[in-house]
This record gives sequence, C-alpha cells and structure tokens, in this order.
Amino acid sequence: METPKIGVYVCHCGSNIAGTVDVQQVVEFAKKLDSVVVAREYKFMCSDPGQNMIKEDIKNLKLNRVVVASCSPLLHEPTFRHAVQEAGLNPYLFEMANIREQCSWTTEDHEKATEKAKALVSAAVKRVRYHQPLETKDVPVNPATLIVGGGIAGIQAALEIADAGHKVYLVEKDPSIGGHMIQFDKTFPTLDCSACILTPKMTSAGSHPNIELMTYSEVEDVSGFIGNFKVRVRKKARFVDEEKCNGCGVCMEKCPWKAPSEFDLGLGERKAIYTPFPQAVPNIPVIDKEHCVYFLRGRCRACEKFCERGAIDFEQQDKIVELEVGNIIIATGYDPFDPTPIVKYGYNRYPNVYTALEFERLCNAAGPTGGKIVLRDGSEPKSVAIIHCVGSRDENYHRYCSRVCCMYALKYSHLIKEKTEADVYQMYIDMRCFGKGYEEFYERLSKEGVKFIRGKVAEVTDRALTDEEKGKLIVCGEDTLLGTVIRVPVDMVILCIALEPRSDAKQVAQLFRISQGADGFFIERHPKLDPVATMTDGIFIAGCCQGPKDIPDTVAQASAAATRVLSLISKGKVELEATVAVIDEEKCSGCRVCNILCPYNAITFIEDKEVSRVNEALCKGCGTCVAACPSAAITHKHFTTEEIMAEIEGVLV
Amino acid sequence: MSFEPRIVGFMCNWCAYAAADLAGTARKKYPPNVRIVRVMCSGRVEPALILKAFELGADGVLVCG
Repeated sequence: METPKIGVYVCHCGSNIAGTVDVQQVVEFAKKLDSVVVAREYKFMCSDPGQNMIKEDIKNLKLNRVVVASCSPLLHEPTFRHAVQEAGLNPYLFEMANIREQCSWTTEDHEKATEKAKALVSAAVKRVRYHQPLETKDVPVNPATLIVGGGIAGIQAALEIADAGHKVYLVEKDPSIGGHMIQFDKTFPTLDCSACILTPKMTSAGSHPNIELMTYSEVEDVSGFIGNFKVRVRKKARFVDEEKCNGCGVCMEKCPWKAPSEFDLGLGERKAIYTPFPQAVPNIPVIDKEHCVYFLRGRCRACEKFCERGAIDFEQQDKIVELEVGNIIIATGYDPFDPTPIVKYGYNRYPNVYTALEFERLCNAAGPTGGKIVLRDGSEPKSVAIIHCVGSRDENYHRYCSRVCCMYALKYSHLIKEKTEADVYQMYIDMRCFGKGYEEFYERLSKEGVKFIRGKVAEVTDRALTDEEKGKLIVCGEDTLLGTVIRVPVDMVILCIALEPRSDAKQVAQLFRISQGADGFFIERHPKLDPVATMTDGIFIAGCCQGPKDIPDTVAQASAAATRVLSLISKGKVELEATVAVIDEEKCSGCRVCNILCPYNAITFIEDKEVSRVNEALCKGCGTCVAACPSAAITHKHFTTEEIMAEIEGVLV
Repeated sequence: MSFEPRIVGFMCNWCAYAAADLAGTARKKYPPNVRIVRVMCSGRVEPALILKAFELGADGVLVCG
C-alpha cells in the first residue's frame, strides 16, 4: 500500500456546524492524527473556493486521501467525490464525516459536540487509509420503455416518448385505453367535454408507429435493473383475433346476451361480446366468459356466425409476451372509494343515492340515459344534494383530501342547473379551489343560484318528519356557519367519493420494487424535488397512483416522467455503483448460502467450477452475502471488514 | 462523574442512517454518546463487527435497519 497522505477539511457550514462545534479544535485534533498531512477549515467547504482549496492541496501536497467533515454524505458525497476526481484522484479515495446532521444539529452541549465531531473525524481518517481506487461501470440503456396503465397519464407519457422517436409498450388491463378520464362527462373548470379532448390522444396512441398497445394485458413479472429490465406480460384471451377483426361491431349487435356494463358502473348494459364504449382503442371487442352463453352452456356462437372476417376464436389462450425495456413508468391510477360501508349516507340502500362516478355516466350524452339527469324511475329530480368529502378527510377512511371533489362538485352543480330546473345544495366542509381558474369557477357557480351549506352531513334518511319531506331523501346535518341543525329534503343525493389507491397497489408495489406511503399511494423519491422518480432507479410514477390529483397535474407529471425517461435514453448509458460484492473463487466452498440470501438474485452458482459468482450489474452492494459467507470469501468493495473495523476504532477514540 | 456509555450504532444507509439525518434536519436533540457507522444494509453487520466494537471498549451496540 502506498504511504497514505491524508488531507482533512472541516466545514463551518456558516454557523450550522461552527455554532456548536469548535471547528478550530477539531482541526488541531485532526492535524495530529496518523498520516494526516494537512487539516484546514473553511466557511462553506462545498462552495467553489472550498472545493478549490481541496483540489490545490491534492496537487501541491500530493495528497492521496481526502476527508471532509461537514454535512451528511447523502447530501454532498457526490459533490466532493467529483471535486477529488477533478484533481486527478480516484473518487473512492475520499471519506466524509457527518458532523452536521449527526452531530452539531443533534447535540446541545458544545463541548460534547466537539468531542463527537473529533471521534467522527478520527473514524473517517482511520477508514480512508484502507480505501482502494474503484472503477464504475457503464451499462447501456435499452431505449424501449414500458408504461403500465392506459389512462390519461399513461397515454400522455407514451405519446411524449413515442413522438421523440422511441419505442413504447403501453400495457392496460382493461380492453380499451382511456382510464377514468374517458368515463367523465365534462372537465372542470373549462367544461371541455372529456371525450372530445381525450379521444384524439387515444387514437394517436393507438395508431402511433412507436407505440405497441397491449390492452387486456397485465404485467406478471419484472426483473433486471435500470436500463435493462425484463418484463413478462400476460395478454389475456379476448377470443377475438386482433389481426382479423376490423371493428365492424356486428358481433356485438347480434350477441343475444347482456350483462351490466362496467364502464357505466352497472347503470347500463353491454353485450357478452363487447367493447367498453363505442370509441374504444383498440376497437376490438372481447368476449366475457362469465356471461357468454357458449362458454356457460356450450351453445350459441352467434358472433362467430355473423363475423365475416372469421375473427372469433373460442379456442384462444392467454399469451405470455417477454419484453426488454430500459425504463418503466407506472401510471396505474386510482380506485373510486366504495361508500357502502358509510351506512348513514344510504348508498346501496336508497336507489337515488349516487356516487360521483355514477353521476358522470348519468350526465354523459353517451351514457345509459343519453345524458338526461333522471332518477331511477325516469323522472327529473327537483332537488339535488351533493355531499363532499365522502371517505376523504375522514379518519375512519382516508385522512387525506382527494383534491378533485370540490371542483367536480361545482361542475355537477353547473350541469344540473343547465339540464334541469332542480335546486342544488352543496354540503361541504371547506371549499378547496386552488388550481388555475378554479377560484373563478367557484365564484361563477356562486352566482348560479347554488346553495352552499357548510358542515359535515350526519345522515341521509327517508324517514319524513313533515309532509314536505315525504317521499324524499332527507339530508341531515349541521350548518356550522349558522350554528343550526338542518334537514334538507331532496330527490337525489350525489356522494363525492374519495380517490383511493388501487386495490392491487400492494402487489404492483412488490412487483416493481417500489414503496407505498401510509395512505397506500406509491411514494416518490422526494416529495418536493423528485416527484416522479421512485427509490428504484429506472422506475417512475405518474398520475393518481402517486396521490389524488386532477387532470392538469396528471398530465404535467406524466410529461415529467416521460422527460426523465427521455434524458436517460439520450444519455444512452447508466453508471453502476462500484461498491459491489466480489467473491474470491479460491476461497469459495460452494455452499450457496449467499445465493439464497441475496435479495436481488445477483449471485449465481457456476456449476462446473462449483463456486458462486456475483453479477455486478444486479448487485446493489448491500453486503448481506459478505456477512453471511462462512468462508469469508466475499469482499464488499468500499465497505470491507478492514474499513468498517477501522471506522469502529475511530469512533471509539 | 456519572457513567457515560459509549455506543456504536450500525445504521443502514437507506433507512436508519437517513432517519438519523432527518433527526438532525428536524433539530431533534439526543445524547452524543452514540457514534454512527454507516453500512449499506444492516445485513452487512456480521457478528465479528459487533464483537470488535465491544473489544475496543463500546458499552453498547445498536444495529438499525
């Protein structure tokens, strides 16, 4: 080993460190440590002059090891590694002592803080002596991208990447892309027709030469790492040959069997062979085995008889497709909250209590009532109550605010006023109209004769106390602005239900090795500064799977995710950490303990040599195998036993 | 003088070490007796490291991950 010549640099960080730790004392202490050639202090070591001080010393004093005592390595290790590298030293010949986050900020006693800082500096100095130069490896990035979820987020991201000239696989579990947005009637605050703004995007995604649409498909397995993922997708059997079908729709016309339409939330019907809605992309139907009488009783085949193209294939099987992609965007959206458990609101007990999504279908010109806002008996409501925060901002269900309900509630008021003569009551807790043009929309609605009642609704009941209430649904609660108990008799109640994580969010999180927050939504890498990346490199999130959000925010996040993917594609390579495990094949006894323990399946057994070997591209450098190896045959680069022991010795000075 | 234990804390880079940083960012105060050694996973902490800490005079060892 060359003679270590160590430079130690202690940062004041303004008064963040120097206000508690006696920096001068730490520098004097460092000067006396073994192999330390120079020790200096500076106001802000991460600034240009601070970094230049280190670079100059490396050149002039021929330093071959550097220690910086400042903030957390999680913050500035890359900064200083870069500085050291610029001065011609291998970046791994550097070590950081965390005397801010883990010392000056947590210790009250100045003297004790100074002692702790000395111990941390001593540990870094002892450790850095053992550091070895390490080389990082570049691996190429596969330019293809997988996008999971074909709602507005997935479509937007797919189009951005495909337009830039790169291959996209867009996987959607339903028979058509479009997501929740295509179920909506109008969009707030502009009152654009949802389908009018979304269907062109759906069509583009469906016909784009760079987008391979995989509808009625689900991701089953994901392996690999950033730049090089392998994905297994199950294409569920449609029983319709996608190559032959021209979407003429005769099969659906002739099919004699009906089932409740999922797309219309059971308010309308569809056939047993169906597309969810007429503008479906792709316009290829699927046969629902649960309701097709041929699958149930072995007779019928009407669709087959009438299909001129011979596209019906009752023998079709699920198909497994293997994909190779460099990056993955998850845009799996949300589930609407089922308000049945909130018994007091009467959903599923009183027929004229609707959820918001049901109302969207009711209001939609292409919906089951042709856009007429009517009660179950077909008559027009004379009064409608819209109850906010159903399942949101409620500690029994979801504590969070679902962010879109206030605005769609206002939108409903407008649509009801436009289409009927009904009185509209908004039963709200707080009006949250925070987006661009939202407050203005609220003001506009305030002038349209909508009645706003502030207070959480206690109950929806049909028990009438007066003649006027007979045959009505009575919304009971408190008007907190007037301080009185109220009873509002209405014909129709709309529940503004929460947006909640998908019921299979946990499985999706495990599949893609990403994390969920306490609320169940996927967690971004940083809540402010990195809202689209996840803790797994190469996997990004967009839309409501990350948290409730409206369409503009979803589109913005999807574009951001696409941009992140594009920048990785254009860079063309990713750098792999050098701090991986290596197995000394001379020492390896072939016991395979490490094979089983490795959480990343990075260790394989070489049968003919009877030894284990680490795949550096898969190894995340956790060191679990190192600790477990009974033969001490595995070295954890940059976290060798020697290095850690030297550090222990240092902290215990 | 009262007894001041010397504690070595092995902390996982991704969770406990980051949490210790967060404690600092939130200016939470705790006794300076614990000295943190960063590892990339608590799975890296083999018995020999813990014994080494005791051998060198630690009064306690924390493994957090």
